[in-house]
Amino acid sequence: MVATTESSSAGRRRLRLPRQLLIGLATVVVMLAIWYMLTTSLGVIDPNRFPSPGQFFAALEQMMTTGYAGGNLIDHLLRSLVLVVSGFLVAVAVGVPLGFVMGYDKRAEAFFNPIFLLLRPIPPLAWIPLAIVWLGITDASKMLVIFVSAFVPSVINTFTGVRNVNRTLVEAAQVHGATRGRLIREVYVPDALPLIFTGLRLSLQAAWTTLVAAELVGAFLGLGRVLSTAYRDINTAMILLAMVVIAIAGALTTQALGIVERRLIKWRTGP
Amino acid sequence: MSDIHFEGVTKVFSRGGRPFTAIDGIDFHVADKQFISVVGPSGCGKTTLMRMVAGLDHPTAGSVAVAGREVTGPGPERAVVFQQFALFPWKTVYDNITFGMRSKGASRAERDEAVAYYLKLMKMEGTEDSYPHQLSGGMQQRVAIARSYAIDPGVLLMDEPFGALDAQTRTIMQEELVRLARVNPRTVLFITHSVEEAVYLADRVIVMGRNPGRIREVIDVAQTRDAEAWADHPIDDVMEMPSFTHLRGQVWRLLREEMGSDR
Repeated sequence: MVATTESSSAGRRRLRLPRQLLIGLATVVVMLAIWYMLTTSLGVIDPNRFPSPGQFFAALEQMMTTGYAGGNLIDHLLRSLVLVVSGFLVAVAVGVPLGFVMGYDKRAEAFFNPIFLLLRPIPPLAWIPLAIVWLGITDASKMLVIFVSAFVPSVINTFTGVRNVNRTLVEAAQVHGATRGRLIREVYVPDALPLIFTGLRLSLQAAWTTLVAAELVGAFLGLGRVLSTAYRDINTAMILLAMVVIAIAGALTTQALGIVERRLIKWRTGP
Repeated sequence: MSDIHFEGVTKVFSRGGRPFTAIDGIDFHVADKQFISVVGPSGCGKTTLMRMVAGLDHPTAGSVAVAGREVTGPGPERAVVFQQFALFPWKTVYDNITFGMRSKGASRAERDEAVAYYLKLMKMEGTEDSYPHQLSGGMQQRVAIARSYAIDPGVLLMDEPFGALDAQTRTIMQEELVRLARVNPRTVLFITHSVEEAVYLADRVIVMGRNPGRIREVIDVAQTRDAEAWADHPIDDVMEMPSFTHLRGQVWRLLREEMGSDR
């Protein structure tokens, strides 16, 4: 809590970072070497089961140039990214305010909670058939499913954050003359913000999961489409490539969310 | 004029389905600019009493009136300093101190002036842009006190404000509070566990009893304090003066009787 302990632990962390990075890099190099040995020099693993590094990079090159499954890497990645981000944003834009109102007002909770309790146990992927029946194999049907899956964590975490607001801080604001508007803006929102972001992170993960599943079922472009095509072609290199691209894209979007979070919750670490 | 009038104030809580009388018919008057300490065994309802003045709790029967108006809810004319400081962690020292001032529509210049004034008074210059977690407990509580003082409340309510501080910081804060109360007198209701603190700070000490919560006795300190000129001595010397130890002993005996009352 005290300033001195904070800064000294931060200093220790800074000192440790390069060594951590080195160990991490070493792990990657060792993994690559083992991968190369098993698939190429020793030939223990059949390339039809798992690709060699050479096949993997050949697949990457093909993806960057001539393309695969109806488009090149940028086409597939962009299509998937647009779907994930737009589905996520719509879910957040609806889910966070809804969770906020439910947490703030008991009547709103009483009204929305039964609907929520009915919908919540349905796995988001179970919506795929209905979405396709309603909207066909379109971006709209995928966005609908992504929306459904990303919506729930945003609502629940925002609700919990607002419902468990620090009562003493609310009272401290009230006895210093805060209006309801200021109470919401300057106490409820910042106090719930860490949990709201937990919800957003879970929503984003759910959006990626759902996207891949939805594209596996049916798509003309996108990373899930690459996966389903490569699986029919028994092209393990392309499968692995799609998996790696999805992992990187998911990690990057989570990172971006983390940057926004640190900007908004700067009081936790201080300026 | 900001006096406090308790009239037949009773508070009944429901405890596990059964009614529990936290406060039973308190009648009391606190004069304007008087500093009142409240001591009592835990469960005597002293915090509840304070919360009813703040408007955070409401009496089951009777009424609390401040400056002749019945209290119906919280308001900036009755600011509270909480035991756990209750600073906004997402606000800087500057924004914490001026939180209440903004409710009252203070201009930027007025706010700058107030922050400079209080930080200088509390020897905390240069911490305007710090966040609470970067400050020690004593500094955080200074900021919380400044936040309440800055809105110029008629009544200042303090709920064991130094309870979470270490002994040395606590002594320093007690001295500072006396200093602050001298330049800026307020009607104060000060809840504490410490008998010494209660006697040192107050004009009058209320000793409360429990089961049910009620006023056991009211002890006047102001007369002795002024006659013996405590204000001219540092706190450690005051606490060794016979006039102080006599009053302290008086409060202690009452308190001990009350603590033993349910045995």
